[in-house]
Amino acid sequence: MAGAALAALVLAAAAPLLAAVRPPRLQYEITTLSNGLTVVLEEDHSTPIVHLNLTYHVGSKNEKAGRTGFAHLFEHLMFKGSKNVDPEGHTSMIASIGGQSNAFTTEDETTFWETAPSQYLPLLLWLEADRMATLRINKETFTNERDVVKEERRLRIDNQPYGRLNEIIYDQAFTTHPYKHQPIGSMADLDAASVDDVLDFYRTFYVPENATLTLVGDIDSQHALQLVTQYLGRVPKAAKPVPRDIPREPPQMAERRVTLRTPWPLPAVVVAYHITNDGNPDSYPLHVAGKVLSDGQSSRIQQKLVYDKQLAVAAFGGPNLIEDPNLFYAVAIVQQGRTPEEVINALIAEFDLLKSQPIADRELQRAKNQFARDYILGRESDQEKARILSHAVVIHHDIKTADGEFEIFQGLTTADVQRVARAYFTADNRTVLTLLPSGRSEPDTK
Amino acid sequence: MKATRVAAKAALCSTLCALCLCGTVRGVFAQAPNWPSEFPPRPLPARSVNFPPYQIQTLPNGLQVIAVLHHEQPAVSMRMLIRAGSAADPQAKTGLAHLAAALLDQGTTTQSASEFNDAIDFMGATVNTGAGRDLSYANMIVMKDSFDSGLRMLSEMVRHPSFADAEIDRQRQQLLSSLQVSFDDPDFIADAVFDRLVYGFHPYGLPQSGTPDTLASITRADLTAFHQKYFVPNNAILAVVGDVTAEEAFASVRRVFGDWERRDVRGAPSIEPPAPTRRLVVVNKPDAVQTEVRVGHLGIPRNHPDYMAVNLAIRILGGEGSNRLHQVLRTARGLTYGAQADFDTYKESGDFQAETNTRTAATGEVLRLIVDEFWRLQRDRVSERELSDAKAYLTGSFPLTIETPNAIAMQILNVVFFGLPIEQLQTFRDRVNAVTVDDVQRVAKQYLKPDKLSVVLVGNASAFTSELKGVGFPTFETVDLDSLDLTAVDFKASGPLAKRPTP
Repeated sequence: MAGAALAALVLAAAAPLLAAVRPPRLQYEITTLSNGLTVVLEEDHSTPIVHLNLTYHVGSKNEKAGRTGFAHLFEHLMFKGSKNVDPEGHTSMIASIGGQSNAFTTEDETTFWETAPSQYLPLLLWLEADRMATLRINKETFTNERDVVKEERRLRIDNQPYGRLNEIIYDQAFTTHPYKHQPIGSMADLDAASVDDVLDFYRTFYVPENATLTLVGDIDSQHALQLVTQYLGRVPKAAKPVPRDIPREPPQMAERRVTLRTPWPLPAVVVAYHITNDGNPDSYPLHVAGKVLSDGQSSRIQQKLVYDKQLAVAAFGGPNLIEDPNLFYAVAIVQQGRTPEEVINALIAEFDLLKSQPIADRELQRAKNQFARDYILGRESDQEKARILSHAVVIHHDIKTADGEFEIFQGLTTADVQRVARAYFTADNRTVLTLLPSGRSEPDTK
Repeated sequence: MKATRVAAKAALCSTLCALCLCGTVRGVFAQAPNWPSEFPPRPLPARSVNFPPYQIQTLPNGLQVIAVLHHEQPAVSMRMLIRAGSAADPQAKTGLAHLAAALLDQGTTTQSASEFNDAIDFMGATVNTGAGRDLSYANMIVMKDSFDSGLRMLSEMVRHPSFADAEIDRQRQQLLSSLQVSFDDPDFIADAVFDRLVYGFHPYGLPQSGTPDTLASITRADLTAFHQKYFVPNNAILAVVGDVTAEEAFASVRRVFGDWERRDVRGAPSIEPPAPTRRLVVVNKPDAVQTEVRVGHLGIPRNHPDYMAVNLAIRILGGEGSNRLHQVLRTARGLTYGAQADFDTYKESGDFQAETNTRTAATGEVLRLIVDEFWRLQRDRVSERELSDAKAYLTGSFPLTIETPNAIAMQILNVVFFGLPIEQLQTFRDRVNAVTVDDVQRVAKQYLKPDKLSVVLVGNASAFTSELKGVGFPTFETVDLDSLDLTAVDFKASGPLAKRPTP
């Protein structure tokens, strides 16, 4: 007995690298109603609350040309009343029970959510069903809400230092795919939107077969499913299939280098590469590459560019893994007294190093431990669990990925990381941006 | 003539018929034509909800230790609070608490910054440190199998930071660069100027993250003196939260922190904040497309007996459940993306402030509407409905505030930090429900001073200052952002950009 324990201790001490702690598995049920609505249920009785996540598989990448920002504008209109609910009534009813509610729009999805004391589950379902089936749309609320969205754009994008950074990166790196535009859209396109566009969008995308309802919390799954069927099951089936005709981005054939002027206090540089989509086998090693480059003070970009050489005030990099192929990009804010060119070269050197040499075993294990940490800390609340489940269904089309990715990560090797670095971090596939403060002379960059 | 009239009638009919197709409620687009008219469904039976279990112990050296057990995820979070923040900065050394906090995880007497952070990252841990007005903090989250090593590292960083010269220079440079970016951020500028207007030269009014001059003047001796003076167990609270037992938590804390030596702490007495005075400062940022707006004045500290009634009054003005500002500015007029009123409370004082942002052209209108709402709240009784909505939000949301281990810990830390009766955690809903319309009216009359508002507008001044007289502000001061000095009485730099980060 004592000998075995001692042997175990010695083995543990001899093991060079700690294995990551495995988080508990999610316990879910998934079903589809006859009108096409996908329903995911997970019981969690630790706190008497319930979180509802209703995700429509529509985002800014579904917008027509000349209508950028429309998916997000439409999200706002979903709070302007339906047959049995007054304008803004949704928000005030949820607040009056101590709940929280909001919505967000990404490139791929539009999610409406509520968290409330669990006894109000019927109300949450009733509210979502009412606006899925009978949204009120009129010119006045439409115009008013469009003004609100314009203020949101001014607040988040136009009036913030570095607020337009993503807009610039995606506009420069993409030519064809609608990821060229950010979900907030442009002022001109928002102005061009009409009530007819609203009706068309509603009929096309806000239909049960394009939606996934996820409930996590203090529910009884069987009873919850009855309630879901009672309220959302009566929303009629869509009249036509949901279009999925998103233009593809052609492969980039040569490096792009662009210098722009922006009204920001310090110069910024960006190095971006086109990569694959979320859920692709290559996406997991790319995620590790992101951690090695930029997660924590001991990561390569932090250590070299910010800490050792002090080339950058701040720097970060990583893959943006979403539904369609996207970008892996690194951004650095240039330190005073340094040139953008120096910083660009230092960033590119880090990408090149991932290709020329495998990362150290210890770096790989660190990335896995950090991944395990994100995984565990990202599953504390009902809201986080619902988001993970919903994402697995809507974007991965496989709910098992909500839990299964943990094992995929823990099985990755240093060779996997080097392989994807060689595949994607090539000069031809690269966009390099230099963003100089406006009104300042261009430094010598030859 | 006749024929024309018939045609007109036909056209009218087709319009009416088309309207009818739209459904019975005006403007409804019927995805589901036979959808019933109905009232919202009743709730299911409610489950009782109580504040989750926790334990508090005080070590012989005075360290207050809170344990919150939560076994769902295999992680442990440790939160160390020190009862001294930027309000303890000497006036010529603002930014000292921030710089000290930034250096806590940049090396200890036994590990360099790189060694320390390499160990943290390899464990898959997270560390964050910082300072507020009344406190400094160091938080660490580890997976449960690293609890003991994490706790030891937390002890090292809080008790034995190295304050190495090279790290001081690095962090100072980081703070200076952040300051430069912050000075381009209208939100930051509006808050900083508002605090100065409300608190004057009380420490709460001074720039918490320092100025280029004060940051440059901070020496290693200042940092070690600050640390020596305040970082002692009898001036600290430690919460251990997560997947441990109470015995493990207390035993480990005693083992790691038991030999931390107690020392008397005496903070310098601070001056009183000035009485509210009507004053409007415009910070001119010619390239702004929106104006950041702050309106408010001095309030009451956290420990004040009227806290809950004032809290509800300010929520009616602009909080969840019943937000008049949101209704007036966003819902009715589309003038902003968001508007709210905050009730900020600290150890020694507090303030009320309305905040929003709006397109430049609407600046005057928005200011007038906000000031009107301060008057309305001070003058008129709030309705039973508004109060009950605000109360319903606070009481109803209680179970949402105890969902995650860290949310639970924050509530306990808050009560312990302010020295409030610990029973308040259990009686929250009773205390909310006890507030009446009369109470709200009394505190609104007593504490709101709509004739003595401090106002800050950060935006393109030339586009809106001509409107200010018409909305009740004939006198105002304008400062160019380039010459803004948060430490000058009139906010204007005397020398060439004396306090402004230089590009």
